[in-house]
Amino acid sequence: MRMSLQTLRVLEVFLENPTEQLSGAEVHQRCGLASGTLYPILLRFESAGWFVSRWESIDPSTAGRPRRRLYRLTSTGLKRASEVFASFNRGVVT
Amino acid sequence: MSERDLNSVPRAATSSDASPAWTEAVTGWLIHHAALSAPASLSERLQEEWLADLAARPSVMSRLRFALGCCWATRVIAHEHRASSVPVASSAMGQKLMIANLHNDSRFFARRSTTFLLVVCLHIALFYALMTGLEFKIFKVIPSTFETRVLQEQRPPELPLPLPRPQLTATKIEAPIPEFPPTGDFNETEDIIHSQPPGTSSPVATQTPPSTPLHEVSRVQGGPGIGFPNPDDYYPSSAKRREEQGSATVRVCVGANGRLTADPTTVQTSGSARLDEGALQLAKAGSGHYRATTEDGRPVNSCYSFRVRFELRN
Repeated sequence: MRMSLQTLRVLEVFLENPTEQLSGAEVHQRCGLASGTLYPILLRFESAGWFVSRWESIDPSTAGRPRRRLYRLTSTGLKRASEVFASFNRGVVT
Repeated sequence: MSERDLNSVPRAATSSDASPAWTEAVTGWLIHHAALSAPASLSERLQEEWLADLAARPSVMSRLRFALGCCWATRVIAHEHRASSVPVASSAMGQKLMIANLHNDSRFFARRSTTFLLVVCLHIALFYALMTGLEFKIFKVIPSTFETRVLQEQRPPELPLPLPRPQLTATKIEAPIPEFPPTGDFNETEDIIHSQPPGTSSPVATQTPPSTPLHEVSRVQGGPGIGFPNPDDYYPSSAKRREEQGSATVRVCVGANGRLTADPTTVQTSGSARLDEGALQLAKAGSGHYRATTEDGRPVNSCYSFRVRFELRN
C-alpha cells in the first residue's frame, strides 16, 4: 500500500487508541482530511485487511440520528501500522 | 440503505435546525448521486454512511464541502474497485488486495513514466529543431533512376581570320597657323632705333653729353603664343554653310602678362561680317595666351595686328 501523508495521518488517529471504533466523521474531526480523501483511504485499509468496519448498533429513531459506520484496527493492521511508523522512526522509508 | 430508506430518514435527524431546506436538498442529492456512481456492492453502504456523517457536520458550508468531497471519493473508489476484482468487504483476502494495489501502483508508475519520457522526447526534439534552424528536411528526394549521358565535347567557336596589319603611314597634319604679319601701316611693327644720324645736330643732341654711348633698343613684336585657340574652332557655322572664306586683320592691345588690355577691333575686313565676328571672338578667347612684346627682353604693353584666315577644307 502506498503510504501517503494522508494515509499516515489516518493511521495515526487509529493508533492513538487501537481498540477504539471511529466513524468517518470522527476521523475527519481528528485529522482534518476532506471527505474526498478520507473515505477512499478507509475503504483501502478495509480492503487490505488493516481495518474492519461495522454498523453502529443503535436505533435511529431512538437516537435521533442515523447509524454510523464504525472502523477499527485489526490485529494485522495494528502490526503493519506499527511497523510503518517504526520504520519512519528509524528513518527508513519502505 | 435504498433510496426509499433515504427518504424515510427523518429530516430532523439528518440536519441541524439552522440549515435551510435547499441545503438539505442539494447535499442529499449530491450524496445520492455519488453513491449511485459507486460500485453496486458499495452504493447502499456508502450512501447511508455518508448521510450519517453529513448529519454530524455543524455548518452549511461544511456540509456542502462534504457532499462535494463524496462525489470525488466515489470516483476514486470506483477507479480502485475496477482495478481489483476481489470483493471489498472480504477482509480475508486483504493480502491479495495489497498485491492488487501494488500492481495498480506499478501501472500508475508506468503511465507516469511514459508521460515523463514523452515530455522529455518532445523537449529533445524541440531543442534539436531549434539548434539546427529547422533547415534539414525529414524526407530527402531521391532520384528514381540514374541516367548516363555522354556529353559532347564543346568545341570552341571558330575565330575569324586575323585582320591584316594596318599599314601605318606617316601623315602630316597641317594645322593652320594664324598669320600675324606685320603690316606697314603700324609703327609698332618696326624696330625703334634710338640713334642719331651722323652729321646732324639737334637741340636735344646738344643737350646730350657726348660721352654717352648710343643705345639701340631691341624690340620683339608680340603675337599669339602657346595655347592660343585654334581658328577652326571659331569658324562660324553659318559661314561654313555659305562656304565663305577669307582673312580678317584684328588689332589687339596686349599687356605684359599676355592678356588683352582692350577689346580687339577689326582693322581689315574679310568681306564677311560673320568671318569678322569669328576673328574677334578668336582674339578675345586668346586673352592670356598672347606673347607680349619685349624690349630688350622685357615684356611691355603694346598694340599690334595679326591676320586670321578662315579656309574651308575637304
